[in-house]
Amino acid sequence: MTETYLAQPDLGFIAQIRGLGGDTLKKCYQCATCSVACPISPENSPFPRKEMIAASWGLKDRLIKNGDIWLCHNCGDCTDMCPRGAAPGDVLAAIRAAAITEYAQPKALAKAVNDPKKLPWLLGIPAIWFAILAYITMAQSDVMTKIFNVFGIAWSHAHEGVIAQANFFSTWFVDLTFVPLAGAVVIIFLLSLRRFITDIHENAVMEGKTDKKNIDYKSLVQALVKTVPTILKHEKFNECETNKERATPHMMVLFSFIGLFIVTGIFFFVLYVFQTPGPYSQLNPVKWLGNIAGVALVIGSGLMIKSRLDNKDQVSTYKDWYILGIVFALGVTGMLTQMARLAHLEWTTYILYYLHLIAIFNLFAFLPFSKMAHLVYRTTAMAYAEYSNRK
Amino acid sequence: MDKKYGVYICTGCGIGDTLDMEDLVEIPEEEGLNCTTHPFLCSKEGVALIQKDVDDGKVNAMVIGACSRRVNFDVFRFDNCIVERVNLREGVVWPHSRETYPALTEEQKDDEEHFDRIQMKAEDYIRMGMIRLEKVKLPTPYLPESFSKKILVLGGGVTGMAAALDAAKTGYDVTIVEKTDALGGYAAKLRSQMPVSAPFETLQAPVADKLIQEIQGYPNIDVRTGCEVARIAGQPGEFTVTFKKPGERIPFDVPFPLPEEMLVDETGKELDPEAAHAKFLEYNEGRKDILNLDPDGELYGAVILAAGWRPADLSKMGIDHLGFDLPDVVSNHEFEQIAAKGKIVRPSDGKPAKNVVFIQSPGKDEDDADFDYCGSVTSQVALKQARYVTEDYTDGKAFVIYQHMRTPGLQEYFYKSMQQEDGVFMTKGSVTEVKTQGNGLEVTAVNTLLGENLALKADMVVVAGGMVPVTKDDPVVNLAYRQGPGFRDNDIFGQYADSNYICFPYETQRTGIYAAGAIRRAMTIEESIEDASGAALKAIQCVESANRGMSVHPRSGDMTFPEFFFQRCTQCKRCTVECPFGALDDDAKGTPKANPTRCRRCGTCMGACPERIISFADYTIDSIGSQIKAVKVPSEDDFDEPPFRFLALICENDAFPALDMVGLNRIDYSPDVRFIPVRCLGSVNTIWIKDALAQGMDGVILIGCKHGDDYQCHFVKGSELAEVRVKKIGDALSSLALEEERVAFVEVAIDEYDKLPKIINDFVEEVDALGPNPFKGF
Repeated sequence: MTETYLAQPDLGFIAQIRGLGGDTLKKCYQCATCSVACPISPENSPFPRKEMIAASWGLKDRLIKNGDIWLCHNCGDCTDMCPRGAAPGDVLAAIRAAAITEYAQPKALAKAVNDPKKLPWLLGIPAIWFAILAYITMAQSDVMTKIFNVFGIAWSHAHEGVIAQANFFSTWFVDLTFVPLAGAVVIIFLLSLRRFITDIHENAVMEGKTDKKNIDYKSLVQALVKTVPTILKHEKFNECETNKERATPHMMVLFSFIGLFIVTGIFFFVLYVFQTPGPYSQLNPVKWLGNIAGVALVIGSGLMIKSRLDNKDQVSTYKDWYILGIVFALGVTGMLTQMARLAHLEWTTYILYYLHLIAIFNLFAFLPFSKMAHLVYRTTAMAYAEYSNRK
Repeated sequence: MDKKYGVYICTGCGIGDTLDMEDLVEIPEEEGLNCTTHPFLCSKEGVALIQKDVDDGKVNAMVIGACSRRVNFDVFRFDNCIVERVNLREGVVWPHSRETYPALTEEQKDDEEHFDRIQMKAEDYIRMGMIRLEKVKLPTPYLPESFSKKILVLGGGVTGMAAALDAAKTGYDVTIVEKTDALGGYAAKLRSQMPVSAPFETLQAPVADKLIQEIQGYPNIDVRTGCEVARIAGQPGEFTVTFKKPGERIPFDVPFPLPEEMLVDETGKELDPEAAHAKFLEYNEGRKDILNLDPDGELYGAVILAAGWRPADLSKMGIDHLGFDLPDVVSNHEFEQIAAKGKIVRPSDGKPAKNVVFIQSPGKDEDDADFDYCGSVTSQVALKQARYVTEDYTDGKAFVIYQHMRTPGLQEYFYKSMQQEDGVFMTKGSVTEVKTQGNGLEVTAVNTLLGENLALKADMVVVAGGMVPVTKDDPVVNLAYRQGPGFRDNDIFGQYADSNYICFPYETQRTGIYAAGAIRRAMTIEESIEDASGAALKAIQCVESANRGMSVHPRSGDMTFPEFFFQRCTQCKRCTVECPFGALDDDAKGTPKANPTRCRRCGTCMGACPERIISFADYTIDSIGSQIKAVKVPSEDDFDEPPFRFLALICENDAFPALDMVGLNRIDYSPDVRFIPVRCLGSVNTIWIKDALAQGMDGVILIGCKHGDDYQCHFVKGSELAEVRVKKIGDALSSLALEEERVAFVEVAIDEYDKLPKIINDFVEEVDALGPNPFKGF
């Protein structure tokens, strides 16, 4: 006999899920068509039927801590087949958004990221920050050179006579902004993940979804390694029927981020180790990779936006538009910056670059709080599913 | 009536192709009857041909050998004529083809080796039809001496008021009798009722007040509150009703029949009728016998029984695990009372009850049964009461734990809207315990949709009690009938006042008494109003049939009624006792008194009577007996190996249509069986079986409707009685050295036509194995 579960419905949570695009959460009558329709749901305790009843009961504890919500790729087959007009796909997406907020620290920031009213702040703070830094780069170059000389480091990576972003905005400032930011993001994620893994394991044990009693982190990492090809190949995503076409754009975006990450890494290395500042030649193979990735990012995110605009059945909420907007803006401003530079349009280049930085800031700084956090949670949950023999 | 006979045989639909028409026509012609054949008898020309003979005064009693009497009955209808339809099509040529039974050559016809089994069947049927014409007569309707079309409604709740309004709107005078001092019934005490109109999402004010107001606008509705029925005597069309104040004791209070143990003397011997009657009067001291009509009684034509329900007493249901002794565990009825007073508060301390658990079934993980006397209405009431909780408190939470959530029809929208409420939580589950936990209650359940053992905290628990029909406690109708004041076999219907829920809604086991609303089954206000219309229409049908001497149902329009040859009555009371509808009242001596308008013409009395003194104009012991005798039983004098001959007495309600379907589907079965449709197996008198065997028939099979819990018998008890009688006849057979297996009793449902051929063939084979009837040829 399993332990008795004291159900304590949370009316606030129900309202939250409704607000996040899961407003059909109460339409379910537990026929389990969704679990049958789902191409990737495991046989043992399949989702999303059990998530739907828990959602309609407002059982926050059973959903937020549930690894299964991350196994769902929101392909929409369940929503398509539901005889009661419920949209389990959207409900699970809403629960995931709630889970991201729940695991993120600080909470206030997490709430702000998901609140359209706070958008001016999210954009405004980096805008002011970069404006200040741009001013310093352009107007206070001498002061900075002196300060840097104290440490025996060259201030400027700027070029004379060519258009270079570094003329407008110091490479040091870029990296001194983003490197610590990345560090903070990693720490936030690590803190969140520790709780997250404990929670999903506890939930899996309670719901009888695993044969593992404790978490062995070494095996978990091994499972992660095994999961990576599945993720890269979008194997799960490709099993969807209803929204099959969504896998390709998503893959484009994912691979372009990977590409851009590699490119950024190489140039970072080139700049600080070989002391060779950009802009680099368009003939450079690394540059090719960067350009291909940039184009893929624009096309991929553009297609995603288009599919959301076209698909009236799928619910798209602020959380979706925010992240898609940021990604698309990031790609477009990046590419345009380069084009403007090559077209010798100095101020256009700088302004576009400025916008590009704001987009990057939004993506990076708010990564643990935005929908983009699925990158971490879904990967972890999939690795855990692999580890825990979830079948 | 001076009968002028004629025989008409249709040769269409394969009849002429299969049968030797010359030989067939010889049968009536040998008897000196004119026989006409026509290739298309049901055509205009064919019918005109018969009509001309009728108009010319040549024919007024005719055999029509064509299709089953279940088809073209409107075509072959000739006023003031006796029409006997001989089923040559569905009964002979359709099931039995020439491919299976080749026609005989001229040489074969004359030898003693070959015989044509199809032709033999057809010829027997023509003979049987002809003899029946001779034995039956046209009915003269029975008309009561005094007659009233007034309709009496018992119960002033929503159902009673709605029924009264419906009847009044069609112009009938109605009297509503209400025991309490005001109209309105239970509905008047509700906070809200379930939605009755689109979009079926919001609760509405109870409809009772509206109905009370509407009734005031009808002068032909006479409302009597603080009043009940002491007795209803007589029969439909002339019910003599005595009213009284509730609790009053008057001489015209209805008497109760003697309990069975009082019907015997000290030695265990059955009392003779007069002694029994004396004991009956003693037992009912102070009350007049049923046959004493109240001179001050009022005359009514029909009665609508809308006496409703009472809340089930949950303390007696063995549900201690649900904590019914705790103050904050209440029934749905008690919860409604709390809700009607204002906001939902706990009975124990008057504090707001914001977390309420509704328990819909006894649980304990034993089975998934609901509480007794529950229905879809109970599910809907739980939803409605859950709405009270969220209505009263924005942070209110209502939990519904059910085994069945039934919201039929458009009430599904109500369910959906309740599902949408953030504060309403539903799961299937089996409640194991309700106990005190801190300041509140804790409910535990297993097998829930949430996957495991579930616990809930509650301020209050509501248990879904059922709606007990008042007929469970009390006869209510107080009929001055010999069989007793109430309905006799209500245990088949879980004490609801009903006679056959599926086939004959509103009809009780007493003709002229029509049940509506919660007395018939647990139902909603909306359903009760609809029910009321049905019962009102039935009551109108009843008075409008009784006044023309017609049966109301199921043999609507039948103008025959049981006639008694009293000189030979032995006062055995079997007819009075066995009548499924209590139509007969015997007097002090035990002589039956027929009440023709109570009668449904099933003939159960005719089947019961050992003296065979009961008959109907067109259905008598002799008419069927003669048909049986008209069957030619081939013996060794005729053939080297004569074919066996079987009789099937088949119920015309379900089994006979099923047999027609066998023919329609061209499925073969033994052509050696002769079928005679009977009104009900209850009307089968065992003399017919004895006659059949005595004349050498090899076996007799009775085919009727199912009886028992899920009975389909149109007359409730007919097939059950027939089975008992067949069992009894077995002893008589063995004394004649006949095997019991020669008489069989089977039940089929109307849709089981596919099983019928096998049933018939199995019986034929079984008798075949026994060998021929030793009485054959005597």
